[in-house]
Amino acid sequence: MNALEVKNLRKSFGGLEVISDLNLVVPFGQRRAVIGPNGAGKTTFFNLITGWTPPTSGDVWIEGQRAVGRPEKIARSGLSRSFQRNMFLEDLTVLENLRIACQASHPCRRVFWRSTSAFGEVLERARMSAERMNLADCLETKAKHLSYGQRRQLEVAIALCAEPKILLMDEPAAGTSPSERERLINLINELPKDLTILLVEHDMDVVFAICEVITVLSYGKVLATGTREQIQQDPVVIEAYLGCGHARG
Amino acid sequence: MSTEATIVGAVSERAAADPVKQSQRVARAVIVAPVLMVLALPWISTPYLTILAIEIMIAGVFASGINLLVGTTGLVSLGQAMFLGLGGYGIGIGASVLGLPLWISVPATLALIGVLAVGIGAVCTRTRGVEFLLITLAFSQLFYGAAIKLRLTNGSDGMSGIPRPDLSFLGLNSDNPMVFYYYVLAVTVLAVAVVWRVVESPFGSVLAAIRENERRAVAMGYSVDRYKIGAFVLASIACGVAGILQAQYTYFINPDSMSWQLSGEGVLMVIIGGATAVTGPLIGAAVFVLVKQGLSVLTTEYMMFFGIFFMLVVAFFRGGIVGAVQSLFEKKS
Repeated sequence: MNALEVKNLRKSFGGLEVISDLNLVVPFGQRRAVIGPNGAGKTTFFNLITGWTPPTSGDVWIEGQRAVGRPEKIARSGLSRSFQRNMFLEDLTVLENLRIACQASHPCRRVFWRSTSAFGEVLERARMSAERMNLADCLETKAKHLSYGQRRQLEVAIALCAEPKILLMDEPAAGTSPSERERLINLINELPKDLTILLVEHDMDVVFAICEVITVLSYGKVLATGTREQIQQDPVVIEAYLGCGHARG
Repeated sequence: MSTEATIVGAVSERAAADPVKQSQRVARAVIVAPVLMVLALPWISTPYLTILAIEIMIAGVFASGINLLVGTTGLVSLGQAMFLGLGGYGIGIGASVLGLPLWISVPATLALIGVLAVGIGAVCTRTRGVEFLLITLAFSQLFYGAAIKLRLTNGSDGMSGIPRPDLSFLGLNSDNPMVFYYYVLAVTVLAVAVVWRVVESPFGSVLAAIRENERRAVAMGYSVDRYKIGAFVLASIACGVAGILQAQYTYFINPDSMSWQLSGEGVLMVIIGGATAVTGPLIGAAVFVLVKQGLSVLTTEYMMFFGIFFMLVVAFFRGGIVGAVQSLFEKKS
């Protein structure tokens, strides 16, 4: 059994096939990157896996269970995602963002007759998530007042609150400065090794620093899958996407 | 001076010098003074002011219900007067047609409102923004039309003789404005406390998440439609409570209680008072009722002035009166 299996996945928008017959197997604990040029179908692929977009055909299996239904149901089944564009609760504090995210996997989530303060374990988990993503110093800061790098950290921290088995990250380092990117890479690399990570990223330095296996998408098809070295030497990948900068000389 | 007096003097001097204790004293006074004033109002004011206070409290319950949708969940409804009217008609039909005592007709009315709100909420919460506003308005107009046409509701003439609670077992007559004031006060405190508890609960924080970013709430794993229906039901029941109080206050209910204008006034109260705090709708209701009373003496077109007031609040005080006061304190601190 694998953490994630994608079988014959297809998605068409009218006459345009964005994902065509895509197959992918991600074993437990693997850090896998999905790369490809703009329009390769990476974000659509993420949306299909997470239930945000229904596939035209094909299946997604999470830990041997067929993933069907709405995105919230898939999120509760252990697959969590961060978004390409920051998507958090702008007017709430960092702690509130994380507490609400942690609460989603707690039985108290439907309770309306008791105060949130009665559920200390949820708050404690939120604080731990903040510490893990280096946000402990800004717990009471409103999310909209965070620096860009901190926002990206919060985006990942929110996704981690659900204690997922699989974490999908859509360009986590997009728009960050070199120092913010470095910090984010370190934080991601410090996550538990049994957490399966699927990463979409344009920045190859980030990809190489985090992932051991890389899948290259082009026009909705898998062009190649392999280790960093294999991908760097693959002439098809070099021609389609990497260029000379990241190819091994 | 005795030793005891010296010590007391020194302690009070130190307390006076301590800014934290001073601010705590001010905060306590800010809370205690209005509470005492509200409790003593019928004894220290005129009957006219007591009646105004009753109207403010009923409007406050109505606005608090609306705020659960508008301020907490971010769903602007123009149909909540439908539930206010249903509350009034519920006990009206219960008493006049079915001959039921209030202790049966009140819970039955609120249960019926809850069931209706599940159905209406399930349809309305599939939409967002302007669509939500329009579909709630459409439902409201549907019930408004039914109230005019149905013989059961006595058409546009409305129903009179709505009973007030029988408090004779306490030796009290609820027809007395002073007694009715305390009855409305008790119900208002209970209703606002329930709304406050909901807002502060885990369920309430999911509603806040929906308001802030619905897609993110879904990505976190929340079935947002269910939460929105839940908020709609609770808000509708609160509006139903306001409707029951309103009908008992006037001994009368007619289709105007379901008009979209009344729903609009409720939203206006929330925006004027401030949607971010539980006290906002109460303050908004107080301002609305008092200004309406003042302006209606001068002109029948008082809503025109509210329009200007509303524009000023939206332009300069985005958080309403409560928001403006909060930001003033934040700046000072």
